[in-house]
Amino acid sequence: MSDAFSEASDLSADDSQDVMTPAELIAKLEEAWLNEKFSPELLESKSEIVECVMEQLTHMEENLQRVRKGDVKASVHRMEIDRIRFVLSSYLRSRLQKIEKFFPHVLEKEKSRAVGDPSFLSPQEFAFAKEYLANTETYLKAVALKHMPPNLQTVDMLKAVPEPCLDSFVFLRVKERQENILVEPEMDEQREYVIDLEEGSQHLIRYRAIAPLVASGAVQLI
Amino acid sequence: MDPSEVEFLAEKEMVTIVPNFSLDKIYLIGGDLGPFNPGLPVDVPVWLALNLKQRQKCRIVPPEWMDVEKLEEIRDKERKEETFAHIPSPYYMELTKLLLNHASDNIPKADEIRTLVKDIWDTRVAKLRLSADSFITLQEAHAKLDNLTLMEINTTRTFLLDSLNYMYKLRTNMQPRSDAKSQDY
Repeated sequence: MSDAFSEASDLSADDSQDVMTPAELIAKLEEAWLNEKFSPELLESKSEIVECVMEQLTHMEENLQRVRKGDVKASVHRMEIDRIRFVLSSYLRSRLQKIEKFFPHVLEKEKSRAVGDPSFLSPQEFAFAKEYLANTETYLKAVALKHMPPNLQTVDMLKAVPEPCLDSFVFLRVKERQENILVEPEMDEQREYVIDLEEGSQHLIRYRAIAPLVASGAVQLI
Repeated sequence: MDPSEVEFLAEKEMVTIVPNFSLDKIYLIGGDLGPFNPGLPVDVPVWLALNLKQRQKCRIVPPEWMDVEKLEEIRDKERKEETFAHIPSPYYMELTKLLLNHASDNIPKADEIRTLVKDIWDTRVAKLRLSADSFITLQEAHAKLDNLTLMEINTTRTFLLDSLNYMYKLRTNMQPRSDAKSQDY
């Protein structure tokens, strides 16, 4: 029986260029989960990680089907699956919440993305955002807009829905040392200054100042 | 973030148990565990340790730092220093709570440990409030928060970040606006 389970550990993330162990894959998912939870804007979609994790889960569940009920090992595996599934759904859910909150801006960003750049949305999320936009527009029209004078019958969604506030503060932990991060002053009479982020240190700073570092994975939001 | 989610993260920490059953290695997605032999200590994540404990299949060995003398030392240091002192586990509060609630019979002087950890927590959270206060009064744009644990950050996160955002909005609205966008509505 242990053979059936050990297969899962050999399965590497063959979709991505660099080979990852399943444990590293789960760690990556957890990083993405926390980053998505704490960043004010929608981050790049990690569909590759999501797919690999799904693959691992299905694989493990298939193996578990073959095991008789009441097996101690199987119950441990089920618990682990439940924990991973929780992280995965929480990650996807927090992305959907952001899409619902910022849908016109998310779609705008997707439209202006250069060909070849990685997409911010997974295909399913993109479909969801488009549908959400269409439904909102139909709803507004049916409820109020069609009763308005003709010159007031259009609504610019980009202006009607608030943009994500990139000036929010975030907590972060540094994974790779960074130098010369510019800290802009709160008031005009204060001077701007630069700081170095030492590996392992924790900071409270505006999201805008470190947004590229979150994307590159040099810092982890906490 | 919900405190239960912080606890969820804490449950990934490893803890030593002494099982009373035998079982081969378990190949989990997150790594291999075991093999389990009666009487031989083995490292497992806290979530598994608690589950086995509830089914009376093991005895939990408390982490090294969960010890009255060591915690007293930490408490005194925490009270003496103005900044946050180094803490032996990034999840000290959650682990204390989890282990004491589910396995207090395996931990010597459980009540004393509970009080000590509460003292350490109170001291640190008081410091956190003080520094949050000065952060806002001085209108700083950056703060270094080494040694602060996730649960501590979480107790103040919503309140601090929301207040900072509102104050930022009030302030930027007072200054003459360079861009008038999104004011149409």
